[in-house]
Amino acid sequence: MERLERLINLVIALRETRRPMPAAEIRRRVAGYGQEDHEAFRRMFERDKADLRALGVPVETAALDRLGEEVGYRIDPKRYDLPAVRLAPDELAALAVALEATGLAQEAGTGLLKLGVDAGDPTSDLGRRSTGLGVDLAAPHRTELMQAQLTRTRVRFRYAPAGRDVSSRTVDPHALVHRRGRWYLVGFDHDRQARRAFRLDRISGPVRTASDAGAFPPPPDVSVDDVVPTVDVGRVQAEARVAPSIAWLVARRARGGGRPDADGWTRFDFEVTDEDVFASWALQFADEFEVLAPASLRARLVERVTAAREVHQ
Amino acid sequence: MSTPRTLQRLERILVMVPWLLEHPGVPVDEVCERFGVTRDEVAQDLDVLGYCGLPGYGGGDLVEASIVGDRVSVRMADFFRRPLRLSVREAVTLLLAARALAAVDALPESAGLARAIGKLQDALGVDADAGLAIDLRAPGDELLPLLRRAVEERRLVRLVYRSASKAETRQRDVEPWGLVAAQGAWYLQGYCRDAAGARDFRLDRVRDVEVLDEQVQTAEAAASPPVYEPDPDDVSVVLELDPPAWWLLDAVVADAVEERDDGVRVVRLRTPALEWVARLVLQAAPDARTLAPDDLRARVRALADATAARYHPPAG
Repeated sequence: MERLERLINLVIALRETRRPMPAAEIRRRVAGYGQEDHEAFRRMFERDKADLRALGVPVETAALDRLGEEVGYRIDPKRYDLPAVRLAPDELAALAVALEATGLAQEAGTGLLKLGVDAGDPTSDLGRRSTGLGVDLAAPHRTELMQAQLTRTRVRFRYAPAGRDVSSRTVDPHALVHRRGRWYLVGFDHDRQARRAFRLDRISGPVRTASDAGAFPPPPDVSVDDVVPTVDVGRVQAEARVAPSIAWLVARRARGGGRPDADGWTRFDFEVTDEDVFASWALQFADEFEVLAPASLRARLVERVTAAREVHQ
Repeated sequence: MSTPRTLQRLERILVMVPWLLEHPGVPVDEVCERFGVTRDEVAQDLDVLGYCGLPGYGGGDLVEASIVGDRVSVRMADFFRRPLRLSVREAVTLLLAARALAAVDALPESAGLARAIGKLQDALGVDADAGLAIDLRAPGDELLPLLRRAVEERRLVRLVYRSASKAETRQRDVEPWGLVAAQGAWYLQGYCRDAAGARDFRLDRVRDVEVLDEQVQTAEAAASPPVYEPDPDDVSVVLELDPPAWWLLDAVVADAVEERDDGVRVVRLRTPALEWVARLVLQAAPDARTLAPDDLRARVRALADATAARYHPPAG
């Protein structure tokens, strides 16, 4: 008998049984188990149970007597059945487009097909058409961390921040943030006793769970801008002049329009969060970009260019 | 024993049976299209189902599954009237995909997505807003609605574009096939007639766009993150990086990265665009230093000299 057949029969039997079914009864009554010796049956049943649970089939273990010496198994139909979600055909189609654009169709397994059972139109093709849109969300550990965040499960991992030593961290995952092309985990760091952001691509090695689900209360405040850099946050006012060839390009990062300057150059104002980051960005334009103010930023640029000359003799 | 295949079949059957019960007498081809399987696979799945049912397995206990005159019929399977509920992984992935696309402004799918997200969150009893933020804003993204229309209508696009590799601005005619958000930027992907090849154009480097009337016949290519494909003519580069310059490792595709005992990382890479690497090194200097080739060292030096001269004009 095929294993597939045995698994389907096990699901049906456990769903339909009135009282939890002890292993001996499963061996006797469910098609596919009978002919094995006791040890072989045990191994087979353990593996089937584990595989079903991995698929999300809620196989429960329940005590059959008050002492809990004998246990049985069952599947609660209420926990098995998908609740009615009732997506309209265009909503289902939009989800299909989203899975296609993000390249997550494989990872979503049969999720979309499950939702499709309730969604009216039997002929809607589930997004095998190309949309011409792509969003790259790839990052190591993303799925495990999202699961941990959703179920409020504490995690432990080794973290290697740029330029510093690797250390082990135990974190309550509060939020996952995708910003500027990177994924960040925001959570309470038990080793530092503070809220921190972690770049997913700097987690080294596996992410392990360090608690059961529901280990911490939902965080009251999930704003993340204080720990994850936003797209444009500026604190220092800066001014620069740029060559005509790149003025349009710089205008995209500047605050407000530019003002004409000598030789066809343009003056721009900027809001700068980190002078070093800004200096690095400006240096891609080399001599076509001149920082005018503040004096500290201008000095930083001169200092870095001078050092660059020295190490490239 | 092909276990993963068996489990995949089980997953498919557990979602296919409820759908077949909901759509009695559906043509086989429709089943194939929806579940991405062949007619033989449908027949095999139905055959297995015919041996399954309630313990006892007598008449009246077994599922009745058959293909009659090209139409599929499943009966006596009330225990599989509902699909298995979404696993945490499936639910999380669906929400992630939906939230990511919803972060792209002004798509035709936006309204449907917003409603789908609401229904999903209600059904799952989660408020994913509270724990997931996806921000796809990037310089140049104001061009997205215009370019998306050009992609859909397959119209030739004329760009004035500043190439990062050559640090020059030129006009390019592009047959567009996709728009991709990757590495913190948006890219237009397509066939560049001037370069006679597939190219990625970062939207913040686009100065002007004109969507022309000409319809293009570009073969359809799936939108995918830009990747660097090495060419035998590329130049080999070796750089030395102190920790503050390690961000540079995110900007290049390295062949090898070694960390020396003194904490300095040595990165080896190949590039078709030495000028681009020279500007990267200048951006990270003096925490980034060129070990090879000499041509690169000379270019960094020349860029640094020119920049320094901007701040200290030679006397006279």
